Amino acid sequence: MTEESGPYGIWIALLALVSLVCVIGMVWGELTSHRLWTGGFIGVVLVAYSFILLFLRKGGFTGV
Amino acid sequence: MYKRLLDRLLRWTLSLDVWINRVYPADFNPLYYTGGLSNLFLTVLVLSGIFLFLYYVPSFTDAYTSVQYITGAPPFGLNGVPYGQIIRGIHRYAADGFIIVILLHFFRNWFTERFRFSRDEPWISGMMLLVFSGFIGVNGYMLVWDQRAQLLVAMTGNTLGAIPLVGGALRSALFGGAGTTNLLLPRMLFLHVGPATALYVLLWWHYVRVRHPKVWPPAVWTLFSLGAVLLLSAVIPAVSQPLASTGAPPDRLAVDWFFLLPYVALKYITPAWLVVLAVVIVVYGLYIPYQLPETHAEMGIRESGIAQVIDANCTGCELCYYDCPYNAIVMVPSPHPGVTRAAQARKLLAIVLESRCVECGICIGACPFEALELPALLEKDVQGKVLEACRT
Repeated sequence: MTEESGPYGIWIALLALVSLVCVIGMVWGELTSHRLWTGGFIGVVLVAYSFILLFLRKGGFTGV
Repeated sequence: MYKRLLDRLLRWTLSLDVWINRVYPADFNPLYYTGGLSNLFLTVLVLSGIFLFLYYVPSFTDAYTSVQYITGAPPFGLNGVPYGQIIRGIHRYAADGFIIVILLHFFRNWFTERFRFSRDEPWISGMMLLVFSGFIGVNGYMLVWDQRAQLLVAMTGNTLGAIPLVGGALRSALFGGAGTTNLLLPRMLFLHVGPATALYVLLWWHYVRVRHPKVWPPAVWTLFSLGAVLLLSAVIPAVSQPLASTGAPPDRLAVDWFFLLPYVALKYITPAWLVVLAVVIVVYGLYIPYQLPETHAEMGIRESGIAQVIDANCTGCELCYYDCPYNAIVMVPSPHPGVTRAAQARKLLAIVLESRCVECGICIGACPFEALELPALLEKDVQGKVLEACRT
């Protein structure tokens, strides 16, 4: 980890929070038959995960 | 002039790489994985396509209704196929993603001249993959049998009819007869699924000469691509146009710019010219690997000779086998022990496939046992030249 890790850590935490909200949204969509919303929430979670992976790497938390 | 243009395009491509590598770590650069991303989208297409195939009915009376049932459109609503709308959207947007990344793959490999020497085979098979993919995408739009499908069938029929001598027969073979017959949709379904299977045969050909193909993107891009496709499916759902009418086809086309561009061209040129243009583009695409001079003398490249294995020294370690980018080295069970101490206990022996060797010398650098040589450029000669260059 370096001094540059800080901002990336904050972004990772934010994206994790967004993902959590979207998971709740997925459950809501499934329970209320809003299937398009469920699909959209899954999409947001996957995109958020992709950025989390990128920021983990750029922040020096993983990889070389 | 062409070579100068290619040099300039190469510089621009490499500048783009450098710029992207500032944003992403180098091993995440999406332009390095356009082939892998194509595979990802193709896999998504096949899986979502199997799902849609289970519900689709290829007949004039039921095709449109079956698609409405899949997507839960009126009158089906919640009685439609659960998540059918999302799966249809995934199929649609993954197809667009597929075309985008294979075009990026095409242009990147063109501009970086990755069609030279033994890479002409991946290039030719890649061109065929591109043509097949376009064809599959277009007849996928016909399967829905809405007004757009009806117009596409009419325009395709006119274009095929413009081909001299064989046009009429080709149109009959494709559509099952003149005009729209009951055979049309079953044939379109077959031509949608059959060539999709053939894509995997072409992919095998595409990879057979490449030693370390990047067949899958890194997790970052896998997640992003899947997420983007799902998100688009939800935000801009894939919908059908109104049901095809029994009368004349409509005169306007709802365009998918990634697949239906040739049909837009029909607004400006005649079907005959579209056929000529398509043939010219495909033939030129196939000719690209042979456009630049390729003989060794023309390219100023030495004749090093086919790499040769020095039987006595080979330890069967497989380093050359893994390093050869052209799949030109195979490992076989060793018929006898080697001569040097390291080679005496070997179980495998390296063999060079002459037809695949491009005399690049990578295997020489990979071998720590001096068990490979280029006959016209021995290692000691190279060392001598390096020393001489260092002295001057």
